[in-house]
Amino acid sequence: MAIADFVKSTRESFRVGWKIESNWTDPVLFATYQIVRPLASLLIVAFIVIIGATVGVAGSAFYNTYLAWLIIGTAFYSYVLQAMLGMSFLIFVDRNRYEVLKNIYISPGTLHPYIIGRGLVSVLNGTISVVLTLLFSEAIFNGLLHMNIPLNLLGVNLLMLIPAIVLGIIALLAIGYLLCALSIVANRMEFILGDSVAGIFFLLGGVIFPVSLLPAPVQLISNALPVTYFLNSVRESFGLLPASNYMSDLGLLAVTTLAALALGIFVFRGAEQRARRLGLFDRKSEY
Amino acid sequence: MKPSLTVRRDLSNNLRAAYARMWVRLRGSNRDPIALGAEIGLPILTIGAYVILYHAIGLPATAGAAVIVGGAMIAFWTNVLWNMSSQWFWEREQGNLEMYMVAPVSRMAILLGMAMGGSLNTGIRALGIILLGIFVFQVPFQLREPFLVGIVFVLTLVALYTLGMLFASLFMLYGREAWNTANLLQEPVYFLSGAYFPGFYGSLVPQAIQFAGSLIPMTIGLDAIRRLAIGGGDIYSVWLHIIALIASILILFPIARRTLNYMESLGKKEGRLTLRWQ
Repeated sequence: MAIADFVKSTRESFRVGWKIESNWTDPVLFATYQIVRPLASLLIVAFIVIIGATVGVAGSAFYNTYLAWLIIGTAFYSYVLQAMLGMSFLIFVDRNRYEVLKNIYISPGTLHPYIIGRGLVSVLNGTISVVLTLLFSEAIFNGLLHMNIPLNLLGVNLLMLIPAIVLGIIALLAIGYLLCALSIVANRMEFILGDSVAGIFFLLGGVIFPVSLLPAPVQLISNALPVTYFLNSVRESFGLLPASNYMSDLGLLAVTTLAALALGIFVFRGAEQRARRLGLFDRKSEY
Repeated sequence: MKPSLTVRRDLSNNLRAAYARMWVRLRGSNRDPIALGAEIGLPILTIGAYVILYHAIGLPATAGAAVIVGGAMIAFWTNVLWNMSSQWFWEREQGNLEMYMVAPVSRMAILLGMAMGGSLNTGIRALGIILLGIFVFQVPFQLREPFLVGIVFVLTLVALYTLGMLFASLFMLYGREAWNTANLLQEPVYFLSGAYFPGFYGSLVPQAIQFAGSLIPMTIGLDAIRRLAIGGGDIYSVWLHIIALIASILILFPIARRTLNYMESLGKKEGRLTLRWQ
């Protein structure tokens, strides 16, 4: 029964979240909005590689492979960006702008499914961005420009891809959950939290360059991040990294996901107790 | 009362309003050292990733310098989007917009104050980004004409914040659209301005994209600053950029003023100036 209630609350939260994020305009403009951002991100990195291919010394095969590697990193980074920015801002918006956080909190057993439901909206937005970016990449670089980049969307190993995505999403929701906890007790941090964490993942998670290019001490941090293993596993399922490393990457993704979950729950409990003690659930702060 | 006295009093009132709005912005944005540190340090994460990417694909170190300048200019664009364009939206949500409407000063004076405060604030952050970028990534700069760089930089900022005034006027009646439109104008502008890759006006970038990018003053200013600060260029390499920036200011400012008046009048007719939680 408790699980059924949890699922129902999560589903309702997802519905509310989707409406808030999508009904501000007509469907055509919303679809354009969903397309333009990932396309622009893709074009930025594509231009960098094309410039590299023109002035660099390596052969075209290197740049084509690197471009495919980069496309996967950029496309799947959308999940990170959507989850971090969406979830870090959630508490601020509901507490300060709509002033409903206190109502959600005092409704029995709704805050946790509410956060997860809203996080799943970010996941849906991320999925739309990923799919569009991959389709555009295939259409532009292989279809239009005939660059023959080694990116075969139909050849992806779904048995490898799906577990990686599921675990990656759980890890990102856990980190987003942790950001929500920090937002409850923090003040005026809403514009910094999500960007900071997303920026750290962008630099250290192997999104646009291999982690091995980072200085050795920094690599230690990269190796503790679930995003690193998430992107590795996804690239392995697309055949852009050796498949022999898949199981170890997936295992490490599972371990780091569990660690993120444990940390998220621990921090959330602490934040909740502090917020109740100090009356932070209905605090309204202005700039 | 003599007309000249009225004009002088109005001018004085408006300048004081602009100064007051600037002061609030400066004070509000710099009171929190954590936020200040984050606003300087955060762009370095993205810039750093691109510098390492350039290294990975064998581009010269000047490309890293170009992306550091681009990252610093992006700070201004972000400020224009979130603290100018969508500002009336925030003000309405907080209940301040009606106070601005009844204040006996021009709304342009308030926007001017926002622009002055925002550009000063972001200037501090941009300087921090450049210094930190040079220190961390050791990229080369060839600054032969610092005075000229200063002129181009100031012209770019004036053009950029004038565009911000225009956006602020257009966004005046927006609800959640303001938030989403500002979001929408991030990555596409990073791409169209060539902020993260060098040689925007080179042969590799299609002319249609160059044209679209040139509609954003930041693209023109950024290219000029890169030519002067990284390429060691002089006035002959950027005179067209200077003319284009001055033209942008002269075109955008009256449009912003007219748009503001139109949107304010529309908002009053439709009763949407005090509408919240849209």
